Amino acid sequence: MRRGLLFAALLCAASSVALAADPGKVIRYVFPAAETGFDPAGGQDLYSGTIEQAIFDRLLTYDYLARPAKIVPGAAEALPQVSDDGRTYTFRIRKGIYFTPDPAFNGTRRELVAEDFVYSLKRLIDPKLRSPWAWLVEGKIVGLDELAAAAAKSGRFDYDRKIPGLEAVDRYTLRIRLKQTDYNLPFVLAHEPTSAVAREVIEKYADESGRAMSNPVGTGPYMLKDWVRASKIVLEANPGYRGFVWDFQPGSDPDDARIVKEMKGKKMPQVGRVEISIIEEDQARLLAFERGEIDIMNMEAPLAPNVLDGDKLKPEFVKRGVRLSRFVDPEITYHFWNMQDPVVGGLSKEKIALRRAMGMAFSLDDEIRIVRNGQAIEAQYPIPPGVVGHDPGYRTSIRYDPAAANALLDRFGYLKGADGFRTLPDGKPLVIKYTSRPDTLGRQQDELWAKAFALLGIRMEVVKLRFPDQIKAEKECKIMMRSAAWIADYPDGDNFMQLLYSKNIHQNNNACATIPEYDRLYERSARLPASSPERDRLYHEMTKIIEAYAPWRLDISRYRNMLTQPQVLGYKKHPILHAEWMYIDVKSGKGAGGGEGNAGGGD
Amino acid sequence: MYAYIIRRVLQMIPTILGVILLVFFLFNWVGGDPAYVLAGKISSAEQIANIRKQLGVDQPYYVQLWIFVKQVLTADFGASWSTNEAVSHILATRLGPSLTVLLPWLAISTLISIGLALAVAYVRGSLTDRAVMIVCTVGLSISILVYIIVFQYVFAYKLGWFPVQGWGDSLRENLFVYSSLPILILLVVSIAPDLRLFRTFVLDEINQDYVRTGRAKGLSENRIMWLHVLRNASIPIITQVMATLPGLLIGAFLVERFFSIPGIGREVILAVERSDFPVIKAITVYVAVATMVFNLLADLMYKAVDPRVQLK
Repeated sequence: MRRGLLFAALLCAASSVALAADPGKVIRYVFPAAETGFDPAGGQDLYSGTIEQAIFDRLLTYDYLARPAKIVPGAAEALPQVSDDGRTYTFRIRKGIYFTPDPAFNGTRRELVAEDFVYSLKRLIDPKLRSPWAWLVEGKIVGLDELAAAAAKSGRFDYDRKIPGLEAVDRYTLRIRLKQTDYNLPFVLAHEPTSAVAREVIEKYADESGRAMSNPVGTGPYMLKDWVRASKIVLEANPGYRGFVWDFQPGSDPDDARIVKEMKGKKMPQVGRVEISIIEEDQARLLAFERGEIDIMNMEAPLAPNVLDGDKLKPEFVKRGVRLSRFVDPEITYHFWNMQDPVVGGLSKEKIALRRAMGMAFSLDDEIRIVRNGQAIEAQYPIPPGVVGHDPGYRTSIRYDPAAANALLDRFGYLKGADGFRTLPDGKPLVIKYTSRPDTLGRQQDELWAKAFALLGIRMEVVKLRFPDQIKAEKECKIMMRSAAWIADYPDGDNFMQLLYSKNIHQNNNACATIPEYDRLYERSARLPASSPERDRLYHEMTKIIEAYAPWRLDISRYRNMLTQPQVLGYKKHPILHAEWMYIDVKSGKGAGGGEGNAGGGD
Repeated sequence: MYAYIIRRVLQMIPTILGVILLVFFLFNWVGGDPAYVLAGKISSAEQIANIRKQLGVDQPYYVQLWIFVKQVLTADFGASWSTNEAVSHILATRLGPSLTVLLPWLAISTLISIGLALAVAYVRGSLTDRAVMIVCTVGLSISILVYIIVFQYVFAYKLGWFPVQGWGDSLRENLFVYSSLPILILLVVSIAPDLRLFRTFVLDEINQDYVRTGRAKGLSENRIMWLHVLRNASIPIITQVMATLPGLLIGAFLVERFFSIPGIGREVILAVERSDFPVIKAITVYVAVATMVFNLLADLMYKAVDPRVQLK
């Protein structure tokens, strides 16, 4: 009883802090798939991560308007001091950041300190947690792998053991020492798995695996108010949140000026409550949006014909004041061939010719038009738009040209037999086994590839594998060919270029490619700062190698189309931050639902 | 009677064992290795081995099977592999929303189907009877998916009579606001086949000698239909209704998915998508047990409605 009163008193004290968020300002949002839980080290799906972004603080975060995404301080006072060799990062943590009150704190107000980040980063590699994010820190931080190895042996992770790589120098200073130069660490520390959690909270609520999926207690702008799994998530503004004044600088996007006009100078967050529904079906989602039951929704490609004329909203939506925030997602899709496969793999000229020919017979136009409903662009470069290292002027040398592809196969001895199908240069049958999932997208891709192979006179077999089997076969280098996608974990080119690094075979190098030239260049690039001209040059060379050896045929990058109701102010979809609620506002009062007067305009 | 019940309960044991074996081998054959999904985008062989060890899927099959048997015996299926939520909690929290939709639907559907079946059977061969049967045939030829899409568009979106989707906090709100349209759709889908079936049961009875005798004795048509005919037609009707009841435990997944109802049906789909074996195991076993229990109840009810029935 006494503890409950103390807890309530603390909550009241926290509420007394000047809070901008208006409980009457509600954003109704939608997820198209269910979340799993809100432990930053435990969840791995986009939707759980989105909630974690709103509840927890990270050392670093992103500027709301800057594109490509730009790192800015989060819980840290400023960007880190980085040693000359890029191996030591020192952060100063802002004073006076507090966790939301929770019984785990025994009635005391709990400040965020450097030790919390030490603890949170250690958790990622605790074998008991089996965190899907272990790779963010594995092999990088001095002493951390050894700690994990000891835990694997003893069965207990020693969180109290000091390691040189993660040091709380004082209450507010965190020093991270890396095994080797890594300029990507700031991106990692802006990623939600590295969010700060309080050890007391985890120890109080953790399940058998050490995860606290249902009790997120953070220092971020929102806190979990209500949660019906896979159905509804309600967040309320954290009354103790430090807040900030909206002062982002507009970029070249014409919409930015309107957003700045709507938002500049406001104390944030303005939105007091976020209600998130999980609606899996496309029709239900769109109808709910059109009925005004949802304020912001991601319009997936299958719905595009209902809402868009080309890349613009249909007039009836414009008339109602609905707005579209559209950009190319930081992702690529690509078709890969297993470089260890005896039929399509290897670096010999005839194998390269075979892979190139297959790539040249695949029509990206058809894929964009038929499969993606026009909601994608052709990927020219392995680093997509909006990601540091992307080159908007680059044009791939691999083009759709079935005639040239056939000529290439003829030249390298893949000749057609009496049955009209090609054979291997040694006369043995040539059959390409294309693996896909037993879903709609899989079937559509089967058909497009069947068309490509028909143009080449190559026999094709479709292998259907469910998702877990597909990943397993891929990691074991047992898939001959498949179409895959990679979405940025953080907006740096390294996140994409590492996909063909040979040391990542059995992890995420799904082409199982070992191309020595590529490896050498990748290792050099990994030691260079992001956006350095030298690293960009190396990425160009690596891209040429991808085109030359053809382990991949680059495919497309999809558009993300976010629809907002007229009453939503200041919204612009961020490529990495998905919980934009802390940066936006809602018109309050009657008539907030918009109307003709709001067509495409601002206030 | 008690001996009969005990005998039937004992007969459930080999059936449950069969279900356990079937589920276990089916999942291990087609379910895929969950460790590869849980390991995340970038994972090493060691991490995958660690996850397999923690989940127990690295154990020999006979050990895993024995663990499954123990889980059934203790009714403790552990935690979901994907969310770490206790399976018992998943079932407890999802059952309520499913039943909020399905119980009213089943009750209303059964009552309407029986009433209409008696009515059309009474006027068998008439224009009304033929018209109702044609409507039923057309109705049951249309997929539930079509009903959902059309009804959601027309009644929720265009006319605004119901919310497009959602689920609230109170039973009253859920029952009268959010469940109304899903129940209406389920009624439209279920009444047509039930009505046809029940009409057949009633027609079988209506031509019996005892009906003619009743009329000869001057009993009213209402008394004949509602008391004598319905009572004798009720055994196959009970069978039909009881066969529907276990379905309440797995929800109505399409309706739940389209209307964002946090019921068991949606959970089943999620579990299959995520290869979440503990959830799949629990739901399958519970449905199997429920099927057997309801079958037993149906047999006991036969005896209650018709004392001539002998339970052997």
